[in-house]
Amino acid sequence: MHIYERPRDLETALALLAEGDWQVMAGGTDIYPARVDRPLERPLLDITAIEALHGIEETGEGYRLGACLRWSELRDRPLPPIFDGLRKAAATIGGRQIQNRATLGGNLCNASPAADGIPVLMALEAVVELRSLRGVRRIPLVDFVRGNRCTALAPDELLTAVLLPRPRGRSRTTFLKLGSRAHLVISITMIALALDCDPAGRILRAGVAVGACAPTARRLPLLESRLLGRDLAEPLATAVDTAVLAPLAPIDDIRGTAAYRRRATLVLLRRGLAELATPLRGAA
Amino acid sequence: MPTVTMTVNGKQVSGEVEPRTLLVEFLREGLGLTGTHVGCDTSQCGCCVVHVDGRSVKACTMLAVQAEGAEVTTIEGLAADGSLHPLQQAFHENHGLQCGFCTPGMIMSSLELLQRNPDPSEAEVREWLEGNLCRCTGYHNIVKSVLAAAAAMRGAARAAE
Ligand SMILES: Cc1cc2nc3c(=O)[nH]c(=O)nc-3n(C[C@H](O)[C@H](O)[C@H](O)COP(=O)(O)OP(=O)(O)OC[C@H]3O[C@@H](n4cnc5c(N)ncnc54)[C@H](O)[C@@H]3O)c2cc1C
Ligand code: FES
Ligand code: FES
Repeated sequence: MHIYERPRDLETALALLAEGDWQVMAGGTDIYPARVDRPLERPLLDITAIEALHGIEETGEGYRLGACLRWSELRDRPLPPIFDGLRKAAATIGGRQIQNRATLGGNLCNASPAADGIPVLMALEAVVELRSLRGVRRIPLVDFVRGNRCTALAPDELLTAVLLPRPRGRSRTTFLKLGSRAHLVISITMIALALDCDPAGRILRAGVAVGACAPTARRLPLLESRLLGRDLAEPLATAVDTAVLAPLAPIDDIRGTAAYRRRATLVLLRRGLAELATPLRGAA
Repeated sequence: MPTVTMTVNGKQVSGEVEPRTLLVEFLREGLGLTGTHVGCDTSQCGCCVVHVDGRSVKACTMLAVQAEGAEVTTIEGLAADGSLHPLQQAFHENHGLQCGFCTPGMIMSSLELLQRNPDPSEAEVREWLEGNLCRCTGYHNIVKSVLAAAAAMRGAARAAE
């Protein structure tokens, strides 16, 4: 008999995980399509009924996003500008009916090189919270995602939340992706920008990340350092040249060549910077 | 086997299911509600869209046991008192279908859009239906049907005031 559990509290879920081999399931939108023709065999641990894994909370240090936050919830709520980029990513994930089930935590734990949620969160310097009966660990997302579908998650751990540090000034974020059509495609490349500016528009912190151009999403430290101290009103696109792409290792595949991915990434970076140069809206 | 209980089209139903049974299989094979179609095995096509607690979801990316206690609406639940739902009527009048295989999913997806936004633009309709594929129509008449249904539903809402 196949086994399915849907605990309501985190302790029960962690106790089950400590004892046995479970397939953790949130929205299931990565799990089912990956198993075409093969039945689910491992016992299933459905974590979506656990209240503590839901919601968005403002904390002293920034924001706490529950692992089971669905992409459509991110799209539908009024949220401050720090979420603009993540909401743009949410809107491109799989179409509305997928966004109504698919979760943030699932996107990170599945760790596809083309996961649309990862670059934005990397640019925002997100930290993931992992829990097991052994305790809690908080590690930067860049260290959590280790490779193609490979993460730092231990078998007895759950990803419980994503933590966003409070921006150092006014936050401006965006996300752009290129695919062969707008939705339901695997991205050819995608870029995320997160800039914190002082009230005059001077850049105090810059986060830039690119997805689908290496086994994991990568930050671009050279471009980040070039943007520091510059003014949003300057033509920032001049900071973008091929040198900034050094951390990437794109491949040739059915969706595009490595050279095309590099060219397209440069174009998206310039477009993203131009978009963020428009007047500031609201605070933080 | 576990028993699952949910409300489908307003009626409470229960059934014994293997936990790995998909919601769409339970609806079609367990309850005989074959209006919800299956067009793919990768959650791409949208033929299987139903509403679960008011949200449109692909019934092939959800287990029946996950719908425990939920309110589920399928295409069979839309027509009331022998008359078609405005969306069904609009698809009929605007030639919004050819073979009809994608239609239940198109209508169930569009229904959530119109519940949230009674006056969507053409672009909003197209974006909302990105996850619903049609191999026949070329989509234009589907979009036309949804916009016509939106207008009809707004008219009915005004008349009721
Ligand atoms: C038609 C379609 C289109 C899609 N389009 C896109 C797209 O455009 N962009 C994109 O990035 N993705 C896309 N996806 C992939 C998928 O929808 C997303 O990655 C989604 O966010 C996964 O979330 P989930 O809750 O459904 O994950 P699940 O399928 O439930 O889980 C995925 C993996 O993560 C593990 N897991 C989940 N939550 C946790 C947790 N809290 N702790 C520990 N482990 C956990 C599971 O064990 C599993 O291994 C698409 C999928 C489909 C079916
Ligand atoms: S059957 Fe194709 S999306 Fe569900
Ligand atoms: S009418 Fe035939 S698939 Fe849409």
